[in-house]
Amino acid sequence: MNTVLSIEKLNKRFGGVVVADNIDLQLGAGEVVGLIGPNGAGKTTLFNLISGVVPADAGRISLAGKRLDTLPVYRRARHGVARTWQHMRLFQSMSVLDNLLVAGSQYPGESFWRLIVAASAVKAAETHNRDKAHAILSRMGLAALANANVADITFGQQKLIGLARALMSDSPLLLLDEPMAGVEGSAYDTMRKIVAEEAATGRAICVVEHNVSFIRALCTSAIFMVRGRIVERGGVEALLESRALAELYFGK
Amino acid sequence: MEYFVSLLVMIGLYVTLSSSFNLIIGYGGLISIAHPVFFALGAYTTGVLSVNTSLHPLVTIAAGGAVAALASFMLSLPSLRISGDYLLITSIGFQLGVIEIIKNLDFVGGASGLSGIPNIVETHRSLKFALALLLLAAAVVLFVRKLTRGPYGRAIRAMRDDELAFSALGRNAMNIKIAIFALGSGIAGVAGGLYAYYYQYLTPDQFEILQSAMILTMVVVGGMGSVFGPTVGAVLLIALPEAITFLNLPAEVMGPLRGIIFTALVIVFLFLRPQGLVAPRVAGEAQ
Repeated sequence: MNTVLSIEKLNKRFGGVVVADNIDLQLGAGEVVGLIGPNGAGKTTLFNLISGVVPADAGRISLAGKRLDTLPVYRRARHGVARTWQHMRLFQSMSVLDNLLVAGSQYPGESFWRLIVAASAVKAAETHNRDKAHAILSRMGLAALANANVADITFGQQKLIGLARALMSDSPLLLLDEPMAGVEGSAYDTMRKIVAEEAATGRAICVVEHNVSFIRALCTSAIFMVRGRIVERGGVEALLESRALAELYFGK
Repeated sequence: MEYFVSLLVMIGLYVTLSSSFNLIIGYGGLISIAHPVFFALGAYTTGVLSVNTSLHPLVTIAAGGAVAALASFMLSLPSLRISGDYLLITSIGFQLGVIEIIKNLDFVGGASGLSGIPNIVETHRSLKFALALLLLAAAVVLFVRKLTRGPYGRAIRAMRDDELAFSALGRNAMNIKIAIFALGSGIAGVAGGLYAYYYQYLTPDQFEILQSAMILTMVVVGGMGSVFGPTVGAVLLIALPEAITFLNLPAEVMGPLRGIIFTALVIVFLFLRPQGLVAPRVAGEAQ
């Protein structure tokens, strides 16, 4: 199996609180790893460390052999780290389509210089991104919402748009932060379907999720984190049945 | 007639300044108050070149714009790297500091001002300057309109909505901020170049911090982040004080009255219509 993400001895503390304690982690292509653990275990922080939102104190993060940990957020994204956010962080003043367009892997229109000297490349990228965005929206059954303002659509649809935005870049690594939280009905089914389809394309996916049936249905393995430390990694069923986890979620 | 034409000169000038400032503060969300400094750098560059060389006015005006745009990096590179509020603080220092330097530099005329800027228009002087400045203003407004639609405008908007989410999509927010700041400042520099040829005399106090308040008021009253807002704001704030001079009130009433109207306008707008007269368009427009 091809290793996509490789983390070695990653450490981070906020003041006296250790949020990442010597984390070693490997993620292969096509793997869907569920990241579980109590609140404050450092699951989202791990995503923030990988995507560069929070700088690490020590350790090494590499993606397909390329070292990421010294790069700023946008360059890590360009190297192939795509993520969603627990609270979506959609661009609230913009339409659904524009939210997706701005996320294309090639977006020469963000450079004023290239707008002038490479107008045709800008135009070609726009067309490509537009086709791609429409295709993703169709897969999600949201084609009719393309021109709606993201602030006007339902919570479940916003969650899906958050995922759609992360899919625009074809990144080899996908970090999903609580994709199912608060999602019900048809959006729930769509979310499951899309994540499964994306895993089948060979992306490495890591997902923070409390929804056990979602983890059972989609994850190939799971990681259990407590206080910034990876306590256990293994098969989903074995881990969900482990005593430590049961104690944590259901008491002793 | 001459009076009316001189008003048009002012309108052309301030529409240019407020629209370019709107690009920085309204679209870029970059809170700076140093806009008059870039206006001054353009004016002084053009002024000094026109006094000491025989360069064509178009060249000296372009040089004014270029110097202002380059100078913007001195402010944007160190302060944008940190975060928004630092730009405001450093811009205050920049505004006060550069004007102070100009006051103490002999070759730009110091505190007594730079005189001897050649007259480049012989006949119908005011009319031609009014025309040039109005054309510049129209070009700037159209440029802002073009820039803020399409892919660049979409990126600017997304960055202003959520800079972190924007960066996590692989977009370089810093580049956009620095470019917008340089563009807005460069336009102010070009306006400064025309201003220098029009007045033929420059003093540092023409570019004091009060100018900044004036330009900011135009942007806020007209509509921050809307294409035509600053035009409406500039016309209104130039026309209104002029209009009350026709009331023929005694001079001791007139002065304070202008100040009161000016201040009241800002307060009324902040409370009743914070989006300004021309509200920016909301959803799905940057296509």
